[in-house]
Amino acid sequence: MRRLRRRLVPYGLLGPGAIWLLLFFAVPMYFMGEMALRSGSLDTGGFTFSWEWANFSDALSGSDEQIVRSFVYAGLATVIALAIAYPLAYAIALRAGRWKLLLLFAVVAPFFTTYLIRTIAWKTILADASPAVDVLQFLQLVPQDGRVLATGGAVVAGLTYNFLPFMILPIYASLERMDVRLIEAAKDLYASSTKAFLKVTLPISAPGIVAGILLTFIPAVGDYVNALLLGGTGQSMVGNVIQSLYLQQRDYPEAAALSFVMMLAILAVVVVYLRVAGTGAFIGDEEEPA
Amino acid sequence: MSNTSDNPRAVRLRSALAMLVALVAALAIGACGDDDTVGGGNGGGEAEVAKAGPVRGELTISNWPAYMDTGKENTVAEFEDATGVEVDYVEDVNDNAEFFGKLRPQLERGQSGGRSIFVVTDWMAKQMYDLGYLQELDHDDLTTVFDNILPSLESPSFDPERKFSVPWQSGMTGIMVNEELAPDIRSVNDLFDPKYKGKVTMLSEMRDTVPLVMKADGVDPADADKQDWLDAIEKLREAAESGQIRRFTGNDYNQDMTNENVVAAIGWSGDTSIIENPDVSWRMPAEGCILWSDNMVIPNGAPNTAAALAWMNFVYRPRVQADIAEYVQYVTPVGGVDDVLRQRDPELADNQLIFPDEQFTADCSTQPDPPGSEEDQQEVTEAFQDMITGQG
Repeated sequence: MRRLRRRLVPYGLLGPGAIWLLLFFAVPMYFMGEMALRSGSLDTGGFTFSWEWANFSDALSGSDEQIVRSFVYAGLATVIALAIAYPLAYAIALRAGRWKLLLLFAVVAPFFTTYLIRTIAWKTILADASPAVDVLQFLQLVPQDGRVLATGGAVVAGLTYNFLPFMILPIYASLERMDVRLIEAAKDLYASSTKAFLKVTLPISAPGIVAGILLTFIPAVGDYVNALLLGGTGQSMVGNVIQSLYLQQRDYPEAAALSFVMMLAILAVVVVYLRVAGTGAFIGDEEEPA
Repeated sequence: MSNTSDNPRAVRLRSALAMLVALVAALAIGACGDDDTVGGGNGGGEAEVAKAGPVRGELTISNWPAYMDTGKENTVAEFEDATGVEVDYVEDVNDNAEFFGKLRPQLERGQSGGRSIFVVTDWMAKQMYDLGYLQELDHDDLTTVFDNILPSLESPSFDPERKFSVPWQSGMTGIMVNEELAPDIRSVNDLFDPKYKGKVTMLSEMRDTVPLVMKADGVDPADADKQDWLDAIEKLREAAESGQIRRFTGNDYNQDMTNENVVAAIGWSGDTSIIENPDVSWRMPAEGCILWSDNMVIPNGAPNTAAALAWMNFVYRPRVQADIAEYVQYVTPVGGVDDVLRQRDPELADNQLIFPDEQFTADCSTQPDPPGSEEDQQEVTEAFQDMITGQG
């Protein structure tokens, strides 16, 4: 009896999560996969299931440029977000003292406003004749007759801005828990500041970095709002293609097929990434260069 | 490799395979069901007629943004005071196709999401009706509407007997120009002038942008064939790829015009009232404009159709309509409004954008659908949408 119970308890604990995954992941995946294999059109009697594998090739043909662009933009946004988030999280966690709560609040506060409003606000900030763009032109970062809005740069900036807190908070959480005496110990053992950072701080914050990168990259790849509002005619991402297929062309099977392919592609990237980052690079093996 | 059953990698592979088999099996079971067609509506059945009756209760109206006078004493409040109906006025229509896409699953089940009235453009109203999503209107319940409607709007080609639609406002699609920065733009062809590279936007509404481009090239949208549409789309594609056209927009081109990010755009006649830039005005293209109406329709499953009908009659009173016309500055569909406005503001009564005379719109075309069969229309729509997202 007791043995049986011991064997069942883990499954019981898994229960709520498993049910959640089943209802909100497996079931929708099933319907999406099933829709991706239908054919027909909304105006002539609707979509019927017919093992229409051609939807996948149709959806992929012609949108390769948008798929690549999505990964490039999301990758750039993730790298920039990491570059901004790490020093900031470090400063808040280890140097802010009594200002810690206030600074954390400052990170989160803009996100009390909705995503759309914040993105639209950037349209005003980055308008062609705005002071922000004047400064960039003065610094020669933007050509005199150039612009920021309706360029790839604006889309990447928008993605970076919108997902930044998802990078900052996990890194902050991992640094906050760190025992600072470990750094002192490293220095006692004649480690330079750089070396102490590389050997102690960075490995300890690695889980935060990994989580932050995933939380930023995954939603950024599928995002379409930033490209729609801040991009121009040459900046469409795969999210824009799916939106157009679903809402404008009303080709639900192709939209589902493309969504399915994107999910698999992201899954593949994430699995490879976790294989590499989850075990190797950040643990701080001895053969790290000094 | 000899004892595969104990190899953890093989076990994992096997369970993955099992999952795959389960997924395929599930798909196959799904394929066997017979009533599994998604979409298609119920166009075969008889359409319901919207019921009249005592006017009370609640009324939800879905309309486009900035399409109603504002303030405490606005038309909605006035209607509430006059009838005791509680109105939930929602501005959630931003784009015909998008609104339709959002509501279609409900409409298909005969539900309207609590809404009693939608305001959608002619072609969208016709598509909804053909799919069996709309109720028909009895003209005896809409006496104020049909006493006052402009004769030119009484029998449009998409709904010759006004069986399911009542115009909310009409309008013209033409060129929105910043007079200071682009004084010489007179035709849609001038928008393709390299001088204005990256300073021009066009509408993502296919039935506005493509016919205007055709007109500028001397093709009458009324007789255009599929190839004419595809040629115009190809011209747009080249301009989009070269960076001549900055973006394809919905209503949000207003912000770009206000901020002077763009100097000219394909735009709607009433929008000068919401663009906060004194230099911007709407121009009739030399080759003429596109004429359209947005219509009030009553969807199937709409609650309180009696109040919806009362609302339609209410906004067709010339004095009430004058308030709306004065604010939104689109072409009003109600006769006698010019007389009301002349007493308030003679300039408005002579405004060609609100009360265009026949001479002003002589070269304009009614907003067309792409020609041909469903497949032809689908092909044109696909070409246009692929052009917007930049797909090859």
